[in-house]
Amino acid sequence: MTGRLTRITVLALSLAVLLGTPGRAAEKVTFMIDWLPAGDKAVPYLGVKKGLFAAEGLEVTIQSGRGSSDVVTKLGTGAADIGTGGLAALLQAKAETNVPVKAVYAIYTKQADAIFTTEGSGITSLKDVAGKKIATATFSSSNVAWPLVLRANGIDPASVQMLKVDPGALAPMLAAGQVVATINWVTVAAAFEGPVGEAKKKLVVLPWSNYGYDGYGLSLFVSEKMLRDRPAVVKKFVKAYAEATRMAIADPKAAAEALKAMVPEIDVATAEKQFVSSIPLMVNDVSRRDGDGAFDAKLLKTSWEWVAKAQNLPLDKLDPETAVDRAAAK
Amino acid sequence: MSDTTAAAPETTLPETDAAPTAPAAGVGTTLLAWLDRFAPALAFAAALAVWEAATWVFAIPSFLLPAPSAIVAAGLATPAEVWLGHIWATLRVALMGYLLAIAVSVPLAVALASSRLLSRTLYPMLVVVQSTPIVAVAPIIVVTLGASDLPRVVITFLITFFPIVVSTVTGLLSTPEELIELSRSLRAGRSREILHIRLPYAVPHLVSALKISTTLAVIGAVVAEFVAAERGLGFFILFSTSFFKIPAAFAGLVVLVAISLALFRLVGLAQKMLVPWSLPKSER
Repeated sequence: MTGRLTRITVLALSLAVLLGTPGRAAEKVTFMIDWLPAGDKAVPYLGVKKGLFAAEGLEVTIQSGRGSSDVVTKLGTGAADIGTGGLAALLQAKAETNVPVKAVYAIYTKQADAIFTTEGSGITSLKDVAGKKIATATFSSSNVAWPLVLRANGIDPASVQMLKVDPGALAPMLAAGQVVATINWVTVAAAFEGPVGEAKKKLVVLPWSNYGYDGYGLSLFVSEKMLRDRPAVVKKFVKAYAEATRMAIADPKAAAEALKAMVPEIDVATAEKQFVSSIPLMVNDVSRRDGDGAFDAKLLKTSWEWVAKAQNLPLDKLDPETAVDRAAAK
Repeated sequence: MSDTTAAAPETTLPETDAAPTAPAAGVGTTLLAWLDRFAPALAFAAALAVWEAATWVFAIPSFLLPAPSAIVAAGLATPAEVWLGHIWATLRVALMGYLLAIAVSVPLAVALASSRLLSRTLYPMLVVVQSTPIVAVAPIIVVTLGASDLPRVVITFLITFFPIVVSTVTGLLSTPEELIELSRSLRAGRSREILHIRLPYAVPHLVSALKISTTLAVIGAVVAEFVAAERGLGFFILFSTSFFKIPAAFAGLVVLVAISLALFRLVGLAQKMLVPWSLPKSER
């Protein structure tokens, strides 16, 4: 009797699974990276290529945004479901318009902003920039914190001659000696090596995190609508993304190759270098202390304080806790 | 070495002197005709040679101004299927926007030319749309219409349609009054007047607007790709500069120019085949 019952149960269950299969079509997710495809953005490509998202029942399409604030806007309007961007951009947008987007996972637990200069330029530390001509991208998120970082290090921002240019002009200007330094994320360094090397110069990178600029950088953003309507999808995505990150850190070359397979214009060697340069931003004392992806309340507050000071916003304009949702990363 | 080359013309000189004058004049005219025929190509080749030489002589680094040879090398380094993918993406958006512009502009022009009220109410609006810098509005259009081909086609359309409307209206209104009066006296209806008299008169205007709009359509597609795209030549150029691969970006530009030229010629060819009477006699 029990044997028969078991057999019926098994039969019923297999039938349910069979019937259930068509209904379990892959969940579509549009994922937007914050800038054009490059080595430091290889993680989602590796996740797609290795089938990590597919294993969670997700069909992920990757789109390239045009800056962190573009990603926040696209998520807010529903043009994309999940994306990456600098946390500062989200905090600023939250404070100003209360955009319905939240950060769910901290990718960079150190700030990626840095001074790029060349050997022999006379700049060996942050204080040397006083009186020098420096170029930055017109819409770079770094521009917001820059004067504060200078002031925190006892440098008058007015003493630095700033030039705002197109991002594509930064490396040529540095290589040609039109400026003595540029402001970039450390992850772009490998791409600078072409022009700087052609000019027979050697690139020097001075990360702002060495000068007291703390806070969360690149993070995963999700629209509040997505968190409300498809929380399970967000959870699965974060799980697969975290796994892809671990795989990429263990094998940066595989990550670069996965990127190349989906974006054929990529140069694997440069992409690998770019990804390797982003590893210290992800694996560091903060990530070891708090765990992967976690937002520590104190560091989150520090991140907001930098933004508030830079934007001249009152500190109580935003409770930074309202900009994050920690449930998805659990 | 230099002696022999210097001596060579001297030995040939008496021969030309001795030759009868008539064939010499013939040689002169063929040379002139040859020069006349190939002057554009020669001038282009000379400009390229000067450019190439300048980058060598002044040691201009490739990130400031790549030599033509470096641009060709970068173009060849990109696989053909990658190029085709980008070309197809840009061409598709450009053509969709272009065709949409024609489909909207011609009927709109007819409406504007036939009704004073419409002309007075719609024309100022069209001028406002045309005066808006589309490059500045493009990001907003993308946010509003989502990330698909639609915003790109709309951006291309907005850049393309105005010259077609204006030229077609001008053409429609340039029909000689006598012809209109004659057709009316023969009791031709309004639609016949437009289809058989006004529109044929507008064809030369329309065709020149269509020619201008081909290049505008390519510009529109590229502007749209700068704002949001994963494929296309605009994306390729932006991507190449993000890695500071300036020769590759220039190669993308060359391909864009080639597409614009090809489309421009295609409209010319279509005019020759479909409406040859609209061409000046010398060009038929």
